[in-house]
Amino acid sequence: MVSNTNNNTSRRAFLTAAGAGGIAGLSGCVSFGGGDGGDGGDGGSGSTDGGSAPDTIVFGQPGALTGAFDFLQPGVSQAADAAVQHINEAGGPLGAELELVRRDTAVDPQEARTVATQLVENDDAAAIVGLFSSEINPLWDFLQDLQTPIVTPWPGSTFLDTRGGDKGTPEDTSDDEWVWRTVVGDTVHTGGSAVYALEEGYESLGVINGNTEGERSYVDGFLSVFENNGGTVEERVEVELGASSYQSALSRLFDADFDAFLVSMPQESAITALSDWSDGGYGRQPILSDTLAQQEVIDQVGSDLNGAWVAQPGRSGPGYDTFEGIYTEAGDASINSWTPPSWDSVQVTALAIEHAGSTDPEAIQSSLGPVSRSGGTEVSTFAEGKEALANGEEINYQGAATPVDFTQHGNVFGTVTINTAQDGEFVATSEVSAADVREYVAEGEY
Amino acid sequence: MGLLQEIIFGLVTGSYIAIAAIGFTLIYGIVNMINFAYGEYLTLGAFIGLVAATMIPVPLPIAALVAMVGGGVVSIVLARGFFTPINDTGPVPMLLTSIGLGIALRNAIRLVGGRGARYFETETATFRFDAIPDVSLGPVDLLGGFFVTSEQLIVIGAAVAVFVAIHGLLTRTDVGIAMRAMGDDESLARVRGIDTQLIRDSVWVLAGVLAGLAGVLMAIQTNVSADTGFSHILQILSAAILGGAGSPYGAILGAYVIGLVLAVSTAFLPSSMTGLSSAVAFVILVAVLLVKPSGIAGKEVREA
Repeated sequence: MVSNTNNNTSRRAFLTAAGAGGIAGLSGCVSFGGGDGGDGGDGGSGSTDGGSAPDTIVFGQPGALTGAFDFLQPGVSQAADAAVQHINEAGGPLGAELELVRRDTAVDPQEARTVATQLVENDDAAAIVGLFSSEINPLWDFLQDLQTPIVTPWPGSTFLDTRGGDKGTPEDTSDDEWVWRTVVGDTVHTGGSAVYALEEGYESLGVINGNTEGERSYVDGFLSVFENNGGTVEERVEVELGASSYQSALSRLFDADFDAFLVSMPQESAITALSDWSDGGYGRQPILSDTLAQQEVIDQVGSDLNGAWVAQPGRSGPGYDTFEGIYTEAGDASINSWTPPSWDSVQVTALAIEHAGSTDPEAIQSSLGPVSRSGGTEVSTFAEGKEALANGEEINYQGAATPVDFTQHGNVFGTVTINTAQDGEFVATSEVSAADVREYVAEGEY
Repeated sequence: MGLLQEIIFGLVTGSYIAIAAIGFTLIYGIVNMINFAYGEYLTLGAFIGLVAATMIPVPLPIAALVAMVGGGVVSIVLARGFFTPINDTGPVPMLLTSIGLGIALRNAIRLVGGRGARYFETETATFRFDAIPDVSLGPVDLLGGFFVTSEQLIVIGAAVAVFVAIHGLLTRTDVGIAMRAMGDDESLARVRGIDTQLIRDSVWVLAGVLAGLAGVLMAIQTNVSADTGFSHILQILSAAILGGAGSPYGAILGAYVIGLVLAVSTAFLPSSMTGLSSAVAFVILVAVLLVKPSGIAGKEVREA
């Protein structure tokens, strides 16, 4: 019996130690299973630095096939696939077949690092047409070392406001940073949202945001414009994502006196928080972050959300109609704010290869500015651009989401659309012009 | 709002965790293993409840019962398939098996159930008690007006019902008394004629039933997705360890300590630290284990 007691004690000691170890292990990882393989692909591109043209050119697309933003991926995937199909029907860049290899990162930085390496090293991707803010920011140095152009439709982070692009000197790549984005940054559309809030008379604000880089960045972008133009923040509460309840955080937030409150969280957590807000009858004007203009949000939260608004990147690029026609024939995924930028990222990168006459990463990097900035023949598709380049003309790609006029830091400006929850759906109710928002962004700071 | 409101929020959070933690700690104490796949049992319970509520469809209380029955069946099937064959290999192989099973189940659920979150359709009523006077102690209001929702009442009520049922089971039934005997000394229990395999099976079923209920309650408050249970396993595990290894009563106590600390720390931490409320709960867990390695109720329950 003594032996049994000792064994029991040892067992309990082990279980306690293992449990504590398990907690440490679990708390240090986001997911054990985030490594879904995605579409894979056999790569097989080969690249050229000006010699013979390859048979196949690969673009790698890290995607949110799973994870907090997977609901946005179908539209982004369909747009990229439609662009690839369109490009191939037009003869392909350098006459090669363009192939898209998509791999899942689940918006996990560690998984993104692995996927980016796989795309470049295993799939021979000439360029990468994906990656989120939450992945780019912590992996910044790694991505620079990768020395592959990243033209992504996803990131809004203010971190990228002064990082990325060719610094206005396309011929000199020594000062370049390898990230470009075809979606307007948070500075632009959060700035538009802040401008709209001030115009509507909401001068004091409460903020509830998730504790990840993307959510913080959105709020920081909003507040930089809001506070610089007379607005005040009365309370800010940061919360962990995936909680079963946000009532304590809401209780704390609404103890403060303010006119409106800003919610910046991924959709599932936001639905929980907004349902708690509705149940608690806290009231006041909700302002939602850009990813929350989803029907599911209204369906789950209910009519209390009427009047809530979301500022999103506009969909009013010069090439939007052309994009929409091709996109709708490619499938039935709904268009979200990252769908047209996905189309633009593939189009402008393919045009850069055509312009460079090479799949050499530096050559592509050097051509992204010249094919997008003003001065050449305006084209809205790869087919038009390929023809113009063949005629010896310089080109100026006019995108679906924005004019894709890359700034020195690889950013784009565009209109901001205000979508308001009305009678069970989000309706576009107002628009803030790019020029209005540009007034609030210092020259050279975006 | 006052401390009273925060305590209510903490009790609700603690109730979710407590129901699941009882099942977790029963396995912990009687089957001699840490079941890291237990979060997926919650997820499966939530999905079973959702299917019952939306596809059959049945009223939500019936769907919860279906989830409990389904959870029990799933639990015993998985135990028979993966854990019973290695019962005698010791806690390490069983622990590793449960980690692998959890990963496999989570990804299988993601494949079958899809990527997006799904939701129970519920109507929530809110009851307000604004006439409660403020009782200030420094900057803290101890009382003050508060509200409680029908969902919160259901969660707390379900937890209380589970506590009563578990207490009755462990103290008034032969199976429950046999479970306690096995928890103290399995060899002695076997010598006294207890069918230990039957008791293990009973524990698996009971843990599955509780996981099914906890999964549905969590899903009603949040959503049903492949990560519904996994996102809470850390709190469940912590509650079980904090309360005392293998003690259902300790797990209940540990769950409410964690729930209350989460709520109160969110309310009173400095603004820049509100995202760290979970960390505060785990600091308390570590502190308790340093002072009392058997957990808050470990020793007392073993003597009972």
